[in-house]
Amino acid sequence: MSEPAKRITDIGPPPYEKFLHPLIKKNYGKWLYHERPAPGVLCHISETGDKLYTVRAATPRLLSIQTIRMFADLADKYSGGYLRFTSRNNVEFLLDNPDNIEPLKKELLAAGFLVGGTNNSISNIVHTQGWIHCHSAATDASGIVKAVMDALHDHFTESKLPAKLRIALACCLNMCGAVHCSDIAILGVHRKPPKIKRDVLSKVCEIPTLISSCPTGAIRPATFEGKPSVEVIEEQCMYCANCYTVCPAMTLNDPDNDGLSIWVGGKVSNARSAPRFSKLAVPFLPNNPPRWPEVVDAVVNIVDVYARNARKFERMGEWIDRIGWPRFFELTGIEFTRYHIDDFKHAGTTFARSAHLKF
Amino acid sequence: MGDDTKSNTKLLDELEKGPWPSFVTEMKKAAETNPMAKDLLGQLELSYEERIGHWKHGGIVGVMGYGGGVIGRYSDVPEKFPNVAHFHTLRINHPSGWFYTSEALRKLCDIWERHGSGLTNMHGSTGDIIFLGTKTNELEPVFQELTQAGFDLGGSGSVLRTPSCCVGQARCEWACYDTMATCDSLTRAYQDEIHRPAFPYKFKIKCSGCANDCVAAIARADLSVIGTWKDDIQQDDAAVSEYAAAGLDIQKDVCDHCPTKCMQWDGKKLAINNRECVRCMHCINVMPKALKPGKEKGATLLIGAKAPIMQGALLSSVLIPFVPAAELLDTIKELVSRIWDFWSEYGNNRERVGELIQRIGMPAFLDAIGLDPVPEMVTAPRDNPYIFFQTKEDGQETK
Amino acid sequence: MAVPLETLVEEIYKMVVDLQGKKNVRAMSLTKAMIDKYGAGEVNKEDCKHAIRQLIDSGRCVYGYYGGESFITIPRKEEAASG
Repeated sequence: MSEPAKRITDIGPPPYEKFLHPLIKKNYGKWLYHERPAPGVLCHISETGDKLYTVRAATPRLLSIQTIRMFADLADKYSGGYLRFTSRNNVEFLLDNPDNIEPLKKELLAAGFLVGGTNNSISNIVHTQGWIHCHSAATDASGIVKAVMDALHDHFTESKLPAKLRIALACCLNMCGAVHCSDIAILGVHRKPPKIKRDVLSKVCEIPTLISSCPTGAIRPATFEGKPSVEVIEEQCMYCANCYTVCPAMTLNDPDNDGLSIWVGGKVSNARSAPRFSKLAVPFLPNNPPRWPEVVDAVVNIVDVYARNARKFERMGEWIDRIGWPRFFELTGIEFTRYHIDDFKHAGTTFARSAHLKF
Repeated sequence: MGDDTKSNTKLLDELEKGPWPSFVTEMKKAAETNPMAKDLLGQLELSYEERIGHWKHGGIVGVMGYGGGVIGRYSDVPEKFPNVAHFHTLRINHPSGWFYTSEALRKLCDIWERHGSGLTNMHGSTGDIIFLGTKTNELEPVFQELTQAGFDLGGSGSVLRTPSCCVGQARCEWACYDTMATCDSLTRAYQDEIHRPAFPYKFKIKCSGCANDCVAAIARADLSVIGTWKDDIQQDDAAVSEYAAAGLDIQKDVCDHCPTKCMQWDGKKLAINNRECVRCMHCINVMPKALKPGKEKGATLLIGAKAPIMQGALLSSVLIPFVPAAELLDTIKELVSRIWDFWSEYGNNRERVGELIQRIGMPAFLDAIGLDPVPEMVTAPRDNPYIFFQTKEDGQETK
Repeated sequence: MAVPLETLVEEIYKMVVDLQGKKNVRAMSLTKAMIDKYGAGEVNKEDCKHAIRQLIDSGRCVYGYYGGESFITIPRKEEAASG
């Protein structure tokens, strides 16, 4: 290690100003409105009369330095070296010359990066690390995203849905990412209580912390071969894996019982209706790599039914508000089960407490 | 090596088929020259075969002086994949709005080529640049090269996580305050809180320029800053007529979707009752050329969002209904210092601020941070009679 | 302040050593313990923050991380959590 005196710390990110296209610097805060000349292309018009063109392309989020360098080369060639990434892991090139739009799109497509994701499309799927880098993943993330978007890619490259549709995936209940407020959320779940590695538990875990980590109080103190340990009241466990987060001896990952659940109707935008959580549609689908056909079929089905039935501007949840949940289950053919009725804290808030029923 | 990689990844090879860009292709690109990326591919193939992950919990690993920014990761099959025996990830403060020059990106790539797997996430869920996987002895060198290049680590563990923001006034006509400057100022002001864990658990700040909330602040941030305005929607009647002439059904597509039905269209003129507008953004989204946020701009501050674990997911709720844009940064700083003081002292281990509020009650939290209750904080007053009446020291009832 | 920084540094270090292997101790717990010991008039949060920063920057203490929670501990050989 080099001398501590030489170390630079706490400088934060580079100032963003030096990464802004000159046209953005000049028109910062002066944008008047925007147009959408084509899917994946935006045109922002400033009060100075300047026009800025954006070309948006999908990325798999996991990017090699080779691909990032390729994006840098494209930026040098077409957008003065200026580019950005979006909150949904798309890459955007910022152009002052509209003549560069088509050649840039052509090169992106040739390199395998679809252009789209604007307006009423399905943008990129926000997702987590999965088996690539996470210890608590109940499933992979990138593989399911790839398989689902292969099936839905024309909703990315075209803008033909009633409203925007946001899909997100989290590989466990920790939910890195805004999965719980998405039009469609795909969520990795466990279905069995933790298997306790009793031989190592007392060495690697703080037992009081472990006990208090359980939201339902299902973990209680016990002894194992004379050493302090814990036991799990299995009927009280709802497989959240919070105990595993604080104690690696509480193992939940299980090839046969882990899988995916699908949730619908959430949103974060305040447009029209208030932000809301996604609700359970499909409680469980098997973990079936490499292409998870059951998950792909379920998501495509929900998208198709929504696209056919929703009115212009209706997000998934707003469409379901109008038609009602019974009709949602009928139209999608998804079975309504006991698992759909909440029995966690504040469960009653989702009970039908009126005689307003649609038949 | 290319052929060797290919023959060993039968399942992953299936994910190179189809039109969507493939993460497997990315991993293979890196694997051509990088042994860590090659072993990552091998271990992932094993996970696909066995349908289970092969990573262990992290241990104590990081750069000197910091308690955040590095996620320790170890393979549970190091004998099979020795090059990912350690595979630690670095989180790096991203520039506001995720803007880059090609030069800056190349600099990052060069550093990561020298010291890591050559794989990244652009970007992680919280917004950081993610350098995906390296060995313990590379952490200090990569950190030093990053800081030389003007970059610094982000947060992990019980710290302030790197704040993030939407594109804001850089490229959006709806931004009601300068999200990028706000985010950048906060990230700089709180480097100590990002790098040296002193909180009960994580704390996230996200800044959206308007109620469309492109960074999902209301769902994901402990402190959500969402742009809004106080006066009337700016309306250009000629442009409204243009939209109508171009075929937009103003009654059906605009007025009928207004959540408070505060708009009327008589076929010629759009009338907005701004007193009843909730600033949802729908009409502005549909007619960006004709309608825009008012001139008295600022933001709403909301508190407490989080994912489900452990007491259930929460959305943020209103704390300060409106802060003028000019006062926003100072107000946020004053507010978070009060919140952090209280939460640091009274929060349980691993208790997000939203959960603390659930546990002690919003009124007690407001007392603790010195805010007066206002009706904008609730959708309705309580509907149960279990009021904790309080008396002041002088015997008077408190309100 | 009434309590010299060096004293605070040593007292905090001693507490971290004593709790080693028993409990993962947070910066705030150390701070509260010092305030309890010396009284709020003698030592404050900022003093403790400086003392902890000194221990970390000198390498005598390091930040640990486990199960979503960060704490302060004594440097030890790197290892994965066995589990």
